Order: sequence, then structure tokens, then C-alpha cells
Amino acid sequence: MRLFLLAIGGTGSRVLKSLLMLSAAGVRPVDDNGRPIPNLEIVPMIIDPHKSNEDLKRTEALLTNYRMIRTKLYGNQTDVDGFFANRIVTLREIMSDSTIQITDTFIFNLNAVEHAKFRDFIGYDTMNEANQALTSLLFADYQLENKMNIGFVGSPNIGSVALNEIKDSNEFKALANVFQQGDRIFFVSSIFGGTGAAGFPILVKNIRQAKNLDINNRDVLMRAPIGGVTVLPYFNLEHNEDHRIDKADFIVKTQSALYYYKETLTSQNDSELNAIFYVGDQEVSKPYAYDPGEHGQRNKAHLVELVSALAPLRFAGIADNRLTDPDGNPLKTLAFEFALEKDERNVDFLTFGASTRSVIYEPMVKFHLLFLYLQTGFKSMIGQGFTEDAPKITSDFVTSQFYRTLTEQFMRAYADWLTEMFDNNRSVQLFTVGERDMNRAIHGVNTRKGKLGFGHRVVDNNAFKSEMNRLSRDSNSYSARTVEFKLLDLFNRAATNLVRDRYENIN
Amino acid sequence: MKQQHLIYLILGIAATALFVLFGEWCYELHYVNGFSDDMHNYELNTTVSVITALVPWAAAGIYYYAINSVRFDRWYHWLVVLALVMLITPVAGYMVTDSVMADNGKSYVAESVTFELLNMLWAAVLFVVASFSMRWWSSNCRHTPIPQ
Repeated sequence: MRLFLLAIGGTGSRVLKSLLMLSAAGVRPVDDNGRPIPNLEIVPMIIDPHKSNEDLKRTEALLTNYRMIRTKLYGNQTDVDGFFANRIVTLREIMSDSTIQITDTFIFNLNAVEHAKFRDFIGYDTMNEANQALTSLLFADYQLENKMNIGFVGSPNIGSVALNEIKDSNEFKALANVFQQGDRIFFVSSIFGGTGAAGFPILVKNIRQAKNLDINNRDVLMRAPIGGVTVLPYFNLEHNEDHRIDKADFIVKTQSALYYYKETLTSQNDSELNAIFYVGDQEVSKPYAYDPGEHGQRNKAHLVELVSALAPLRFAGIADNRLTDPDGNPLKTLAFEFALEKDERNVDFLTFGASTRSVIYEPMVKFHLLFLYLQTGFKSMIGQGFTEDAPKITSDFVTSQFYRTLTEQFMRAYADWLTEMFDNNRSVQLFTVGERDMNRAIHGVNTRKGKLGFGHRVVDNNAFKSEMNRLSRDSNSYSARTVEFKLLDLFNRAATNLVRDRYENIN
Repeated sequence: MKQQHLIYLILGIAATALFVLFGEWCYELHYVNGFSDDMHNYELNTTVSVITALVPWAAAGIYYYAINSVRFDRWYHWLVVLALVMLITPVAGYMVTDSVMADNGKSYVAESVTFELLNMLWAAVLFVVASFSMRWWSSNCRHTPIPQ
């Protein structure tokens, strides 16, 4: 199954970043019986005309790094366990039709939109007087003057016009070309801004009405199972005299958009969407710097984004017969909400409900231990133990592109992500930020008592080295694999054993 | 278990067994009039060769399978064990030799010391043989003292 993941606007990028962190940890979508979805490929596409958005740039870099790391680990394999399990590809990578020209990136090309002022885009100056008057009724002056390379500055009425052009883009045609029976589409967007709130319903409409478009494969595309996570207001803005984006409007915009969605997307009689996930938090974030777009928009990661990132994974695991009838038509929209088990400002793993913990707890703990191990232990172990088994890990390895991308870029982004979520409100305290001692790194979790009842079991770099030595000795399979795979797979297996054996209650 | 490693183990055992069987010949490479005759007469060459075989193999076994720790997996840890073997083996050999000789009213202090200094080298050789025979299955020390 391919899951086409359309991340719209700034929230889309930030949720995608959380999804990448979960994927790096090895969180995979599973079906109702807990079995991983086979042959899954995730095809993310970021739709945002605001190319200088820092959140977009950070996510794009992370996607590129993830893809490089995963390719080194597993090549084109899909069904793997362990870190970086989900295969993430660009639309270009899976295209066989070379007549459609698109670039090999995760960013949806919006050239037609992003270089124009809105008034030029709609041809305001060529309209007759009556149409100009009508347009001026619908759009404020600052909206008409808005240059769209900074996004739609919280104005869904601009976005709904501008993003309607997407259906004519090469990317949309390419998507239609590669879309096959069994694939799914998922949208990530906020409902209280400009880009996401407008883009989501427009794109769903364009897909459902694909029969009117000049594209291949339209019959399959228009029956695609479509899901979406709609992120309700969850962040706060610093006060500013410029009111182009006003936090006071968030709720009003949300109410209007929800009403519109109800009429057009999730109607009882004519559901366009197969599943919708609503995520929000009345506990508002720390205020973000007011920035309609000119200064890059770099928002702190937030719990809501982490929770939203679980939605596409959940959607991929829903059985076909819960989404569509035997003819492939959408059934009544499935609606999902999310709740914490405890309504607390400081969120650790035990604040989540059991079903969430069962999905993320162990993988995230293992990934965090990998982060600590690569920071504090691995380099000094080269030339010893498992590193000397075939294929040998030599000192050159730490200067390789793979290792540097993993440690200097991906893991640094991971640390930033954790710190940002920790600093936000709610404060996400899954791990103790800055703590390098593995015994104390998982917030609220201790290691088990010692075997004779004295002291506690120890988890440290030596424990990992010992376990990896043992696993490497007992395995004949690595000699045919790369050193990259050997290191991360061994660590993953060792971490599974140590986490289950030495920590209390990670489940 | 790799076949190659099994062959190393068999070869190591065979080499050690040969040393025990032909220990007397080995020790009489350094023949000392009187002392070497008494060593032969009291069958001490065989006794000492058994000690010289057992101590290195036991030490290697303890190092690779009882200690078997990532904290002691460097070449210099192995050297420490080698040094202990080179200390314990001649001391044990001297004590046995001296005790038997004394029971028979003989005293060969200087000759015994020289004999055990040479025996120390045999112990070192046998520790290397034992290490390279059995290390392959150790989880943490199989690459000590040098990588496979």
C-alpha cells in the first residue's frame, strides 16, 4: 500500500516532522490485529507556497536525511523492523512515466501561486468595475496585496482560490498516474489558519471530482480512501498591532471551517472523506512570536503535532471494509478524537492511554537510547567486540556520510524536537532533556531491582556493548549486510532485550 | 559454530597433549646434571608438565568464559592474565618440585628456580595456544588479544 501524505501549510510540515521522528523510532502502522501493514510506502508531499517557512525547511531537510539513512539501511525493502522502518519516498522516485516532469523533492511545486501577488493571480486589474467591486467585498486590501510566497497569512479565502490551481499541476497528474487500487491518501492540515484550512477541502474535492480532470487513472483516484487529520487551535501568538493573523479569530475560523467541512466533507448522506481525525488542545501553547510569514515562521514542536502524527499511521491500519463499500464508494465518515489518559500539563508516557503507549512507548525509548549511545558510547567501542565481526566497523565509519547525517543532522533535529516539546505547554517530558545517564533518561521510569533485591539493574553503554557482542556472535546474517544495517539492527535487538529486561513497566 | 574454530580447538588440545606426553623431552632440552636426573627419577617432569598445561587452560577458560566482560576485553587485560599465568605456573611447579625433593632429602634451589624460569616460557606458549583455541565462542572477549 502507498499512503500519499499531503501535508498542508506550516502545521502540515510540523506534524510531518513528528511522523518522521516516530518512523525513525520504528513506529509502524498496524492493522486491527496488531500486524504491520505490508508493503507500505509513505509518499509525503508538502503543500505550502511559503518556501522560506523555517518549519517547512526543517521538515524538508529531515525528510531528505531520513530517506538517505533508510536507503543505506534497507535499500528498497519495505517490510522491515527496527529504526527507520517506514519506507518514505518522493513522488518522483515511484514514477514510471517520464513524460511528466516533476522534481525529486518532497515539496509540491506551487510556482504558479508563490510568485504572484493575490491581485495579480486573480487578474484583478483586468476585471471590469463590477467584478472588482465584488472582489473587494470578498477580500480585504491587504489580502489582495499579499504576495503569496509568504503563504496565505491566515486567510483561507485566498488559499481556497489559489490552491484550486493544484489540480492542473504536474505533481497532481503524477500522483494520479501512480495511484493504484489499494493506495490511500491522507491530509494533514490545521483548520484555523490559511493554507491548510483552505487546501484540505479543495484538494479532497479535486480528487473526488477527478472525472472532470484531464488525468490518467482518474477512476481509481476518485474512489481513493481519503483520510485527514484536522488540527484545531492549539497554539498561541504574542500580541502584535498587526492583526492580519489574530488569535482571537482562531475559534471563529475553526467554527466556520468545521461547519463547512460538515456540509462538504463529512456529510451523513454524501461523505467525501473516509476518515477524519480531530486533534486539538484547549491548554494553549506558550505564545509563539507573531510572524505572518516574512520572518520565516519557526514554531516550537508541540504535543498536538506528535499526537496528530499518529493519525496517518492509524488510518493506514484501518481495514478496507470499514472505509469503503464493496464497490469502492466511501462509507459514512469515520471520525476519531484523541484523549490523554490524564489531563496533566506535564506529559510523560504514562499520561498517554494504553493504546497509544502500546504503539509508541518501546520504539521511542529504544530510539532515545540509540541517541544517547551514539552520543556517548559508540565511538570508543570501535575496534572492539561486535565491531570486529564481519562486516567490520572501522574508525572510517564515523566520518561516513551515513554516520554524519544520522548523528550530526538527524539526531540533532531529534534533540531539538524533544527540547522544543519540553519547553512548550503542555510540556512533553517523555525523556529527561539533557540527561545522558540511560538509567535516568526515561521520565518517571526506573530500572528494575537487582536480582538479589539489592540496588538496581544497570543500563549503560557497557550493557549495550555486551548484548550487541552476544547477538553479533550468534548471528550469521550480518556478513551479507552493510555496516550501517549491522550497527542499527544490532542496537535495536539489544535495546529490545534490555528495555524489556531492565526497565520497569515499559508497555 | 564455525568449522575452522573447531579445528583450532582440536589443534590446541592436541598440541597441549603432546606437550604433556613429551614434557620430559621438552624440559631436558636444558639438561642439568643431577637435578634433571632426579626430576626424571621422581617423575616430576610429568607432574610439572601437567601443571604447566592445566594452569594456562584454566586461566584462559576463566578469562574467556567466566570473566567474559566488556570491561576486561582489551589486549592489555589479556596480558595481565598472561602475566598471572607466568607467575602462578612456576610458583606452583616450584612448590611441588621442592616438596618432593625435600621428602627425598634433596635440595636444588638454584636449579629449580632456573627450571621454573624456563617453564614460565612454556606456560606463556600454552596460554597463547589455549587462548587461540577457545576464544572464538566468548561473547565479549573473542577478539582479544587481537581481532579474529
